[in-house]
Amino acid sequence: MSETKSSDLDGHSGDDHGHGGVGKYLAVFVCLCVLTGASFFTYSDLWPFKDTPAVGWVFMMAVSCTKALLVMLFFMHLLWEANWKYVLTFPAALMSVFLILMLIPDVGFRTRKYSEKRWQQAAEPEVHAAPAHHDPDHPEDHQDGPHAHQHD
Amino acid sequence: MGHDESEHQDHIQLEYQPALPMSNGKLIVWLFLSTEIMFFAGLIGTYIVLRFGAPAGTWPTPADVHLSEPIGAFNTFVLICSSVTVVLCLEACRAGRAATAKRWLFSTFLLGSVFLGVKVYEYNQKFSHGIYPKKPRSLLHERANLEYAAALRSPLKAKRDELDKKKVELGGSETTENAESEEAGEKQVESRLEESEERDLQKYNRLLSGVVEWAEYVATDPATPEAERRDVLVQLANYVSGPGHAHGHAETEVSPFAGQLDQERDELKAEQDRLEEKQRQLLAARQNNSGSEATQKADIQSDLAAVEGRLKRISHRMDGIGLLRELKHGINEDYQMHLPIVLPSGNMWASTYFLLTGFHALHVLVGLIVFAIGMGMYLDPEKAGFIENIGLYWHFVDLVWIFLFPLLYLF
Repeated sequence: MSETKSSDLDGHSGDDHGHGGVGKYLAVFVCLCVLTGASFFTYSDLWPFKDTPAVGWVFMMAVSCTKALLVMLFFMHLLWEANWKYVLTFPAALMSVFLILMLIPDVGFRTRKYSEKRWQQAAEPEVHAAPAHHDPDHPEDHQDGPHAHQHD
Repeated sequence: MGHDESEHQDHIQLEYQPALPMSNGKLIVWLFLSTEIMFFAGLIGTYIVLRFGAPAGTWPTPADVHLSEPIGAFNTFVLICSSVTVVLCLEACRAGRAATAKRWLFSTFLLGSVFLGVKVYEYNQKFSHGIYPKKPRSLLHERANLEYAAALRSPLKAKRDELDKKKVELGGSETTENAESEEAGEKQVESRLEESEERDLQKYNRLLSGVVEWAEYVATDPATPEAERRDVLVQLANYVSGPGHAHGHAETEVSPFAGQLDQERDELKAEQDRLEEKQRQLLAARQNNSGSEATQKADIQSDLAAVEGRLKRISHRMDGIGLLRELKHGINEDYQMHLPIVLPSGNMWASTYFLLTGFHALHVLVGLIVFAIGMGMYLDPEKAGFIENIGLYWHFVDLVWIFLFPLLYLF
């Protein structure tokens, strides 16, 4: 009795063919591979936004979120689950996003407000003046080598 | 048990109604996964904040830290495949095809092992380049300063002294055995410093006096302009770690430093000629003034000493330049050495990289253990709940990597 009950609870006794299926999984697999190729494409020389890395970052994060959604919806069967899925996933996801958003102004942007005097005591090497003479259009250009800005 | 049930027959029969329409196991896995989301969000968030909080241009590029993007992409592909195999395993298990289910589970296990194997290879690459998560073994320095030059000097000096000592010992035995028979003479020929060791000794000497000590000398000389003092140390760091991978991987026949070094050599040559001329004049002056005042003689003597000291340094530097001109990828790579390198934010990068990938690899390892347990079972439809639960966990591991791959390898 308990066995039938647990398979009832899993919701697979009645609608076994309502979802899943090898065909669907393979389609998702192909999508995932294509998307991985897409984010890897930003590494190739053909990627047109080499000089504005932010475009690449946004693109890659969008691709990653899409991949994550595909995995969760199809492989983790969330698409076919009851509404409890929101209870368990939303709070955790929101707390994760809030954590990062709260850390960015205090820690992430700390060096942007450093005074000249603060820079002298800073653990980070002082490079705040360098991007201006190096590449005035893209002050946040991270693509240069680490030694690039030290020649000032 | 049966007795118990008959006793309870008098009471009202309560039927258990679960709060959520799923088995306890699956509920627990999902609860666990929601805490895992926050756990990895903390780690990834820390990385994002530190990476984008680093002053512009100070965060290492993947090439600086020897991360290979194709390898990362391959690992992503491996994990995606393993996600598919585990989901196919669940399908087969539910359909009652136990043997097929086991095959898919075994494939998942294999793919997970491949992932970990690649990780081991990658970690080895980091370690071989002196990138460690912890300071005492890490060879990364934040800035090219005098402290860095000193950190370069001490291992070179230790190696040089070791060979020097060996040479002196062998040389010493030579003198004592000189008077003895021919047999002893034969022995000392064997125990002389080997040719490769002799070459190493010369190399260390040239690196020490012609590269490191020269940079320290220029950087601490009060006559050197401020900007040049910094440049000479930055240049020193570049000689060690190579011209920077960010600017093309092309193999060149000519050393990337050749132009700069040739210019320096020409300047030093001119100075050398000037100083030699001055040295001749001073020597002549010393001879002519042999009978004159003591103070004047002392002046000439000190000038001569200064000129000779400078000339000696220049000749050391010329040797050093000769050695540096042959460099293709930097001292460390060309000479198979493990000298400290300068990589701004490199230690912070190493900490976050090893923390993120380490915890992820740990999760993969746990997954592999559970798969191994699953492979010992007969996977009939009864085990579908178990397979589904480990599948959920495994998909989550894949999900984390989906974010880690672009963040670590492509950003």
